[in-house]
Amino acid sequence: MVTLDLAKLDVRAANERIRAAGAAGEDVEVVNPDARHHIGVGLIHPINVHVRGSAGYFCAGLSDQASFEVENNVGWGLGDNMYSGSVVVGGNAGAIPGVAIRGAEIVVRGNMGSRAGQVMKAGTLCCAGNANFMAGYMMYGGRIVILGDSGERVGEDMTGGEIFVAGKVSELGSDAQLTDTAAEEIDEIREFLDRYGVSFKGGFQKIVNAGKKLRYATSERQMRSIPFFTFSGNSSYWNPKVQEDLYIKSQIGRYRIRGYGGARPLPHLSDLAFKKDLSDAGRVVDVVSKIDMYTEIGGINGANPLQLSMPVMIAPMSYGALSASTKRAVGLASSLAGIAENTGEGGMSNAQRDAATQLIFQMLGGRLGWNIHDMNRADGLEIYISQGAKPGLGGQLMAKKVTPELARIRGIPAGIDLRSPSRHPDILGADDLVIKVEELREATGYRLPVSVKLGAGRVRDDIKIAVKDGFDFIELDGMQGSTGAGSAEVIDYVGTPTLSAIIEALDALESIGRRQDIQIVLMGGIRDGVDAVKALALGADAVAFGTSAIIAGGCIACMQCHVGQCVTGIATQDPEHEARYDPEAEAKNIHRFLEGVRWQIAALTEALGYSSVRGLNRDDLVAVTPEAASITGLEYAPQYRVRGAGLEVRTA
Amino acid sequence: MCGIAGIMFKNASGRGTGKALIDMLDGCQHRGPDSTGFALYGAVSEEQLRLRFFIGEGDQANSAVERVKTELAKQGAELLEDEVIGNNYRVTVRFTGDLQQFAYAMEHNAKVISIGTSLEIVKDVGGAHDVDDRYHVAGFEGTHGLGHVRLATESDVKPEASHPFWATGFEDVAIVHNGQITNYWKMRRRLEQRGFQFTTDNDSELIAVYLADKLAQGVALREALKTSIEDMDGTFSFLVSTRDEIGYAKDRLAAKPMIMYETDELVAIASEEVSLNRLFPGQALNTKEPPPGTYDTWSRSI
Ligand SMILES: Cc1cc2nc3c(=O)[nH]c(=O)nc-3n(C[C@H](O)[C@H](O)[C@H](O)COP(=O)(O)O)c2cc1C
Repeated sequence: MVTLDLAKLDVRAANERIRAAGAAGEDVEVVNPDARHHIGVGLIHPINVHVRGSAGYFCAGLSDQASFEVENNVGWGLGDNMYSGSVVVGGNAGAIPGVAIRGAEIVVRGNMGSRAGQVMKAGTLCCAGNANFMAGYMMYGGRIVILGDSGERVGEDMTGGEIFVAGKVSELGSDAQLTDTAAEEIDEIREFLDRYGVSFKGGFQKIVNAGKKLRYATSERQMRSIPFFTFSGNSSYWNPKVQEDLYIKSQIGRYRIRGYGGARPLPHLSDLAFKKDLSDAGRVVDVVSKIDMYTEIGGINGANPLQLSMPVMIAPMSYGALSASTKRAVGLASSLAGIAENTGEGGMSNAQRDAATQLIFQMLGGRLGWNIHDMNRADGLEIYISQGAKPGLGGQLMAKKVTPELARIRGIPAGIDLRSPSRHPDILGADDLVIKVEELREATGYRLPVSVKLGAGRVRDDIKIAVKDGFDFIELDGMQGSTGAGSAEVIDYVGTPTLSAIIEALDALESIGRRQDIQIVLMGGIRDGVDAVKALALGADAVAFGTSAIIAGGCIACMQCHVGQCVTGIATQDPEHEARYDPEAEAKNIHRFLEGVRWQIAALTEALGYSSVRGLNRDDLVAVTPEAASITGLEYAPQYRVRGAGLEVRTA
Repeated sequence: MCGIAGIMFKNASGRGTGKALIDMLDGCQHRGPDSTGFALYGAVSEEQLRLRFFIGEGDQANSAVERVKTELAKQGAELLEDEVIGNNYRVTVRFTGDLQQFAYAMEHNAKVISIGTSLEIVKDVGGAHDVDDRYHVAGFEGTHGLGHVRLATESDVKPEASHPFWATGFEDVAIVHNGQITNYWKMRRRLEQRGFQFTTDNDSELIAVYLADKLAQGVALREALKTSIEDMDGTFSFLVSTRDEIGYAKDRLAAKPMIMYETDELVAIASEEVSLNRLFPGQALNTKEPPPGTYDTWSRSI
């Protein structure tokens, strides 16, 4: 038995010792815990941890196989995301005990706080006392056993799983209903209670999903194929896009969902021009080898940075929205180009991990596919707050795409129209967020960069939070960004353009003197190396490509990503459609595109007179529209409009 | 974007409220590294008011002090004591007129931090210990007080944007608040129509004025807290203090943390248990999380 005294050791040092003890198979006792946060997070060995006192937030979080016993109380997020193992708490638990668990057993002998078992997928959460507001909120599976009263709105928007309540059920949540209990279910609960020495003789009421909100009443129709480029048209009134919108709404009787980005003209990087005459750009032979483009992202606070051969990454796109083959192609291309790929929502498959040499693992509010083992094999961890195409909204994955395989990775029932929550259970403000960031760092021993994906909204405030909460970098996504599925109105009309986003972010950081304390990766409608160079000159540290990468890899821009019948095999989970996609060939195409980007960045940087991309700066740019001038504060120089098209792509 | 704390010693004074609040806030400084503040309740002296102002530094400070002195004389407030501490000007006056009008008049001359027969608010940028170093909070021996740590986003990291907030125009009422009142402007307009002035756009000031207005109408603090939960939209956990009471209210969504510990001697409330444990290191405390939509108050024995 190893004894760790938190009056003498800080939590970080203690966690290192707990993990070492775990690896050595030795049990641990923690004394003087005094409600400190993150005790035992990230433990992946079958040992016993005895906490003599109270623990703070996320006790036993992100662990697998370990057994915890806490003598007194715990704070928010008890056993966050546990895979297996157990926690027994002698006193009370704060809000969201058992959040996102994937199979552990959690017993709270006292009462538990609100939203118990939020987005849990499997396992048992048991409370001998009373639960509070919205127990079982958005749970996808598993079992909650409440021996006292349920609290208000129990089972709110649960999709799967069961809630057993022995005491009073005061109010059912939306889409929850009471149902009969089977004798064997009660026997199983009694067996569970016996195992944890909880004596209880009474009966239970059972609450399950009522099935009224799992699927849309009508499903999306296939629409006529109009290429995006026609679709976005020139007219802002009656154009083919408006016509198609009306047609679809007349069929389905609600707002429409579609893939892709906004189709409205907005101020963008194309409204900026380079001050210098660049007609000579590209004349230098082998320019790529002459320009310093190597960029490290994520290392500013001591984590191992992503090592990018150029200031470019792949934007997060989920396995789910995209097929496994497409994720493979994008991953392979990222490796060939020496840049980083990102899992997006929905977990990390082996295929993705094998394809990409550098892979960021993204965590969303539903914690779909999130787990400690994949965190440990990632090269960066990312908290998704929102994305530019649909800031403030959650993800949508239509039933057609929720295959058994995908459902297994995500830990959810197959075949539902999956609406992922728009917010995190444990991030309700900057004050909670800082504790969450710390949990991810603790669980992975401070090795990995932790980033935040943020759709531009209140950029000035949000970027200050990002820097103050200690993120290593921010993926800042403007309104021109794409999505795999979003409401058409939101995609077109909600958000802040990419150009404004970067300017507001830089301004806000400048105003608090913290520009050096966070790196910015800009995305949202960045199409090629020319856009990339403009973004870098404005002040971004790197850029990310989503749409361009998938177009380079065969996407025909039909905007029906959400339907699941993608003819190119990209945005589908249907094996027949996917079979049309040749990941090896498309990886080469995407890679060729990325090399074109590299050449453009090098050629422009050289022509602008620098030997490194870090030389690029605002003085290289002018604005050719009054809007862009007003957003960026750059000189308004309409005469630059006539200078024409710019560079042709020439691959190295 | 913050952490809050409050403590009341139920019997007699002299229990180290200042030290207790420093410890509690230091324990949750991760929730708000930018600024820290305290609302402290000392011995009451009837007919005497203590005022604190932000005056800045150097010439700016000197001219603010002059303006304050001139206005005090104009208002018929007799200056008994004054001192400059850090960027604060602290004065004790004898005053028996209409406090609300007095407060508004003073506010037009210098940024008022607090006015009270017992209350003094001390707040500034930096952590709990930084603010203590500057203003000597640790030695404070009152019966009760509140504290706040802040992470600044919407407004700048300025001393005057830090918390707690005084209920502008009402003596001895202070608030610390974690959350966001979403019907802020609606509520504020309602109060403004009745002649109240606001000196910030901060929703904590709104809660303070809302409650103080009720108290001034003779409504008990408990009752005022109850209606505040009905009248205010948003997510909030807040603590309020007056000369003789402290209380809390928590929204119905339970989105902001709050935890409390009570014995015969004291009641302590904080955002996180880790703050409570700072008062009782090494002990397993029998704490309680207030349920959503609840409120409560405690009085000191006078
Ligand atoms: C098919 C698809 C799936 C996406 N999935 C995610 C996701 O899981 N997480 C995320 O943060 N962003 C996701 N996005 C948004 C992109 O990361 C990014 O914000 C956007 O695509 C960048 O702009 P661009 O496409 O104009 O380059 C997705 C986008 C697409 C097209």
